[in-house]
Amino acid sequence: MKPFHLILLVLAGVGIATVISMYGNTTQYVAFPDAKRIAIENPGKAVHVVCKLNKAKPVIYDAQTNANRLEFYGFDSLNNESKVIFTKPKPSQFEQLEKMVLIGTYQDDHFLATEILSKCPSKYEDAPGAVKSNK
Amino acid sequence: MNEPIKNIVFTGEWLWLGNLGHAFTIVAFIAAIASAYFYFQHESTKDNSMLQWAKRCFQLHAISIVGVFVVLFSIIFYHRYEFYYAWRHSSNALPVYYMISCFWEGQEGSFLLWLFWNALIGLVLQRSAKDWESPVMVVIAFAQIALGSMLLGFHWGDFKIGSSPFDLLREQRPDFLNIPILGQLGVENYLQVFKDGNGLNALLQNYWMVIHPPTLFLGFATAIVPFAYSLSALWRGNDRGWIAPAHIWSLVCAGILGLGIIMGGFWAYESLSFGGYWAWDPVENASLMPWLIMASAAHMLIITKATGRHLFTSHLLVQLSFWLVLYATFLTRSGILGEASVHSFTDLGLSGQLLLFLLAFLALALVVVLQGKQRKIALFSILAVMLIPMVLAYSIEAPASVETFYQWLKGLGTCLFFGWLIYYIYVLYQRTKMEMSDERMDSREFWMFLGSMFLILSLVQVFAATSIPVFNKLFGYKTAVPTAADYNKVQLWLAMPIFLLMSLGYWFKFRETDIASIKRPLLVNTVLTLVAALLLTIGFAIEGYQFILFLVLTTGVIVFNMVYGIQKKKTEWKRWGGNVSHIGFGILMMGVLVSSVNKNILSSTKEGIDMAPEVDQKGNQDNKGIKFNRENQLLYKNKPQVLQGYTANYLDERKGLGVDSIDKYFKVAFVEKDEKGKTIDSFVLEPKTQNNPKMGLLAEPSTRHFLHTDIFSHVNYESSMDRKEPFSNFRIDTIGFFKPFITQTGKVVMTIDSIRRTKETAGLKLVLAIKAKRLGDSVWLRPEFMINEQTGDFEMKAAENDRFGIMANIINLQIIDPNPAHQNIRFVIQTGEKTPVWDYIVIQVIAFPWINLVWAGTIIMVIGFVISVLNRIDKQKKLMV
Repeated sequence: MKPFHLILLVLAGVGIATVISMYGNTTQYVAFPDAKRIAIENPGKAVHVVCKLNKAKPVIYDAQTNANRLEFYGFDSLNNESKVIFTKPKPSQFEQLEKMVLIGTYQDDHFLATEILSKCPSKYEDAPGAVKSNK
Repeated sequence: MNEPIKNIVFTGEWLWLGNLGHAFTIVAFIAAIASAYFYFQHESTKDNSMLQWAKRCFQLHAISIVGVFVVLFSIIFYHRYEFYYAWRHSSNALPVYYMISCFWEGQEGSFLLWLFWNALIGLVLQRSAKDWESPVMVVIAFAQIALGSMLLGFHWGDFKIGSSPFDLLREQRPDFLNIPILGQLGVENYLQVFKDGNGLNALLQNYWMVIHPPTLFLGFATAIVPFAYSLSALWRGNDRGWIAPAHIWSLVCAGILGLGIIMGGFWAYESLSFGGYWAWDPVENASLMPWLIMASAAHMLIITKATGRHLFTSHLLVQLSFWLVLYATFLTRSGILGEASVHSFTDLGLSGQLLLFLLAFLALALVVVLQGKQRKIALFSILAVMLIPMVLAYSIEAPASVETFYQWLKGLGTCLFFGWLIYYIYVLYQRTKMEMSDERMDSREFWMFLGSMFLILSLVQVFAATSIPVFNKLFGYKTAVPTAADYNKVQLWLAMPIFLLMSLGYWFKFRETDIASIKRPLLVNTVLTLVAALLLTIGFAIEGYQFILFLVLTTGVIVFNMVYGIQKKKTEWKRWGGNVSHIGFGILMMGVLVSSVNKNILSSTKEGIDMAPEVDQKGNQDNKGIKFNRENQLLYKNKPQVLQGYTANYLDERKGLGVDSIDKYFKVAFVEKDEKGKTIDSFVLEPKTQNNPKMGLLAEPSTRHFLHTDIFSHVNYESSMDRKEPFSNFRIDTIGFFKPFITQTGKVVMTIDSIRRTKETAGLKLVLAIKAKRLGDSVWLRPEFMINEQTGDFEMKAAENDRFGIMANIINLQIIDPNPAHQNIRFVIQTGEKTPVWDYIVIQVIAFPWINLVWAGTIIMVIGFVISVLNRIDKQKKLMV
């Protein structure tokens, strides 16, 4: 085998290894009970949970007590409920969010989210009710 | 419900303008087809009259595209809201200079911009391509046909080709004609109601958003030229003349695309609140991928030009880069990224057509590469692969009953697609492979080739990670999108060999190098690099072996290329291009390292009362709950707070200009003091919030740029976002003089200081003077109590203070010793608070050290590209003469 081909082969190996290790590190979107299980089996591994806010329970954010703590209750996609604590200020229009993705780990009795990805349903979208009439 | 509408004559519509625009679209489309046909004929028959026709047709096409552009702009400029595009993306309040931004909010406008750049590139090629004009222009015209079809907007039932920017509002949104007010006005007068548009996304209303998208799109558009040259060469039976012009265009593309990408980063840094310029967002990655390959291709073309080697790889990379542009378009415009990206693009239901678009180019490439009988097989497979399974499965939502069948179709289509791609690459290899002896390890081409391969490795990771949403959709996986950290830890290592090769490559000569002669300069350079890197490591205070290694290697890129330029090229500035680009890239990467590794979140706080214990991502237990993600500080108005060496004081806020402005600027004064308490520097930042009715609170950061550091701040929350209610938090205390008592939250401490008694006709009036204190600030409250001495009735009058948001009321007296001189009297006092009690903002403040290196490096890199391009054009001209 020519050394040149050897180099190409090694590079291809590095590429495959990179991709495999990356996919090995990715997480699945999970439900709260899975998150709890993963937290025990593999402490510290961040998971993603698709979550819907429980609007019947209070959303607690008191910036003056702790600006980096938001507490609420959410349902995962299988309708399991869990307390969630988020370590950043309350996102704007939080109560209106349809769906969000929580990134974090499960602890004791709550899911500790360090990141919330959200898309507001009404983002740029216009509702017929929002029509401005003649000024 | 739509039936009666058809007979209505609507008033006030400028339908002719839309018809004009639509006519231009169709003319442009047909002219592109004609131009492609005539260019094709000229290439096959060499009939010069065909060339003349082809030229004219393309020029007509270009003029028509400008016509479409002008019409669409007029619609926005004159606020013609009968057209959906104008209503959807603009509003009366939009300043003229942002109207151009409306083009890139919508898909149709983006495709139009792309068409425009391609048309311009076509006109340039008509002058510069000389004898390559015909085959190259066939490809350009083909692209214009494909892009133009995106704007046609023909509908047949559920099936549609393209989406026209001249669609009418009342057709796109027939529900609007049912709004109650039109019952009285008459449906035909609907325009009297729709006098304002939906408005442009607030995030796009930024001057960087006026220039960043067109630059990026120009970069995307130029990627087609090397691709066109590559196909033309194959068409002409593996001609070698394509390499020089393709190389120039690959440099043009890499330069403009690189600039566009960093401009996007700068925009994100200046006006988005995620705190950085790069987030590995799929949309950012989509633009990075073609750049990585174009940079790789530019180097490969140098090798092929200088030594004749790697012709196959040159073809492959040049084509791959263009396909990645198409893939990027598909990713960002088909809505497949869904919630994986913060960038929101509307899905016009064109996924099927976008796929067709991608496949059409692959089909074109296949037809060109295949010879003879194979072509027919190719065409057959085009039909099989393109038309039937994938497009159907992607463009139509699967009915529940046949969902598995659709899944199966998608799977089949995908397999066919990849099978086809592999077959194409195989044929390309057969056509362009060369039997040559191995290149020597002491040749420049060897090291350049290796460098290009590492760029491809970098691409492989970005591609695999960015495509996860696509795989999820294809195979029904539920894999979460990787985070920025996942990218960083891979890319950090892949970048290092690239830096090493960028430093060393130039010192080798093509074919073979006299190693003895470069030993000394390499040694000197290494020593220089190590010394410089040592100083920089200390200066930048970099810790961690991998980061120090990264710094050493980026320093190497700068030193080796600088010394090489000075030694070999001296003042022949024209020849400095490559070295300048490398130096710029080295500076850019050094800036990326220093500004991100030593990024300091000044607003980190140790507060976290009830958060303990927590485990961070590395599994470290954090008992006090203080370690991570405490990145925001609460600043009360006029209460200075120390943020790591800075004292921040939230002074005041002001409204944006204009009566109905929803912008709020928070004035925060920063004072930097040295250890002795002497003021080093002071400045004021004004982070902005916009309480946008559509998008919620938009925070626009405010940044103070110093040469060595940026202080970046943005407001995440502010007191007015809490509902202001009348008083709550009531509490009752029975208390005597001088005894402190508190409000319910304990934030305000009060003491009764004195009492004033006055005899009035109605009775005895008592006025208490209560001193209320919070955080070194105090106010007086004077609640009143009136006793009618005859009847014994009493009246109360509470005292309030707006600034503190508190109230106090005397609700009863308990007189223990009637002798007033002893002042032995207790007051039953009710206190209440408004929530929030006082004004505050929740702010994040970040110091980015040496972030200016990122911008400076980019500018230097682009200058390098410009020098290279000018030098190559010069050389080409000399060759021609």
